[in-house]
Amino acid sequence: MTQYAKDYSVGELMCVALAREIDDGDVVVLGSFTPLAYASYILAKITHAPNSTLLAYAAVDFKPFQLSFIRAESSATRGAACIWTMLEDLNSVHLKGRGDVEAISSIQADGYGNINLSAVGEYDSPKLRGPGGAGAPEVIKMHRKMIGYFPNHSKMTFVPKVDVITGTRYVIGAEERIKAGYRPGPIRYITNLAVISKEEKDKPFKIDSLHSGVSAEQVVENTGFELEVPKDIPETEKPTKEQVRLLREEVDPYGTMAFDFKPGKERLGYLNEILQKELEAIGYA
Amino acid sequence: MPTESKVAKLSDISKIIKDGDTVAIGGSWLGSHPMAVIREIIRQKIKNLTAITVVGSIDIDLLIGAGCLSRLMFSFVSMEAFGLAPNFRRAIEKEGLPYDEITGLAVIIGLEAGGRNVPFLPYRGPFGSDLVKYRPEFYKEIKCPFTGEDLIAAAAIVPDVAIIHATRADNTGNVQIDGTSGTDVEMMRAAKKRIVSVEEIVSPEEIRRNPAKTKIPGFQVDMVIEAPLGAHPCSCAPDYVFDPWHIMKYMQAAMSPETFQQYIDEYVMKPEFEYLEAIGGMKQAAILRRLAREVKFL
Repeated sequence: MTQYAKDYSVGELMCVALAREIDDGDVVVLGSFTPLAYASYILAKITHAPNSTLLAYAAVDFKPFQLSFIRAESSATRGAACIWTMLEDLNSVHLKGRGDVEAISSIQADGYGNINLSAVGEYDSPKLRGPGGAGAPEVIKMHRKMIGYFPNHSKMTFVPKVDVITGTRYVIGAEERIKAGYRPGPIRYITNLAVISKEEKDKPFKIDSLHSGVSAEQVVENTGFELEVPKDIPETEKPTKEQVRLLREEVDPYGTMAFDFKPGKERLGYLNEILQKELEAIGYA
Repeated sequence: MPTESKVAKLSDISKIIKDGDTVAIGGSWLGSHPMAVIREIIRQKIKNLTAITVVGSIDIDLLIGAGCLSRLMFSFVSMEAFGLAPNFRRAIEKEGLPYDEITGLAVIIGLEAGGRNVPFLPYRGPFGSDLVKYRPEFYKEIKCPFTGEDLIAAAAIVPDVAIIHATRADNTGNVQIDGTSGTDVEMMRAAKKRIVSVEEIVSPEEIRRNPAKTKIPGFQVDMVIEAPLGAHPCSCAPDYVFDPWHIMKYMQAAMSPETFQQYIDEYVMKPEFEYLEAIGGMKQAAILRRLAREVKFL
């Protein structure tokens, strides 16, 4: 019988939920360095999805590695089976429609499958200029699933309509996607409160599962767009004892994943702690 | 007849990069940006540049903060886990820097079109994105002439100059990249003039010992500059990691234009070898190289 963990953080729960989105044999792309997503893919690879192919930076099918704040790129590169240019990667994975999962996050998201990484406020005179979407606008449309993760489920993030549509899923629904040359798959958002997803264009996001101790009302209250609330909503599957052990002891012993959950002010101090541990691990005091 | 050497000094970049040029800058995220050349652009006060980046970070932020850019094309500029890029934000939010925000694949496919000498390339692009609507000079919705399918045309991008940083090259410009090449190869194919800085210049024989590693042949390169640790504070995988301690210092300095000017004076406006001393010299380089080697597989 599966032994579920009693003691786990919401970050670990989200990480495991994201890992469970990866099926064995999937092609999984890692974009910008986001520790939570990296940890979840590596966890999937060393547990239920050993035949998945992971891509990061120029590295293709790299060996799973221990996460580090500084060494993700050199780890992926040194463990790679193949080194591609970005264009080779795009041609083979993105444009060919062979990508399964490449989790994204966003400053704002709405109920239509739109994300905003560009600007809060007016596009030409923004209150906040975001980083831009990199490949996200294309990725969320082309890959089989559109997976987003949001450490802060709130009306600040989940808005009625994003200020700028940096990118959008665009073709939603199995039939539509096949007709447009894409593989069918859901939009699914994993948050610190729940898992929500959208499978059809004309239907709202639905609450798939609630994290332990979270009510449906709480999720609705913190979401700026309409949600379908089924009568019986299951609890989000907890991480197993083994998954939590692997995350803490093997995948992420330096605690890089928790970085995403630290408030802005605490980040620098936390980062210094991680860096100190990393130096000590290679013999520098 | 002997072969012509393309090896030059950092100070020679102004023979190729001129005021007002459109410059494609290689590297991606916090990796392999040609930082020694970027610092030299600032030292030589080359101005009014249009920079093109796919996934930029401190390279773009530094150029903006030093006042070298009059326009920016990008899909992403961020200091990743260190936060949003401070000068980039300030320039757009407060100072009205003109920019073209283009989705990542459109920049790469546009560069590929430039390299193929065609005006555009079609792809199943980002329909529904506002960026398509805001920048019609870079995107057009078209119909496939064979099937009638809806596609997006990404306009060709032809930079005046491409600058990249790589692992090694010989004196005729055959370039090998051991790690992350990003869009460096596409930039070099598309650009009219091309500069590569490398960790090490090696003999033509050494290049020929492992030709599969050569990503860019010499005829696509105009100038080769030896710049060890030339990507610092970015990484040059798999040889050294990015320098988080220096980047934190940078982030602190870039909080205000005044403190940023102090950073420029202290680190940039001096010869490159003094920069390398200022960031901790051989001792710091050894730590960054050691970190890049000590990886643990599961």
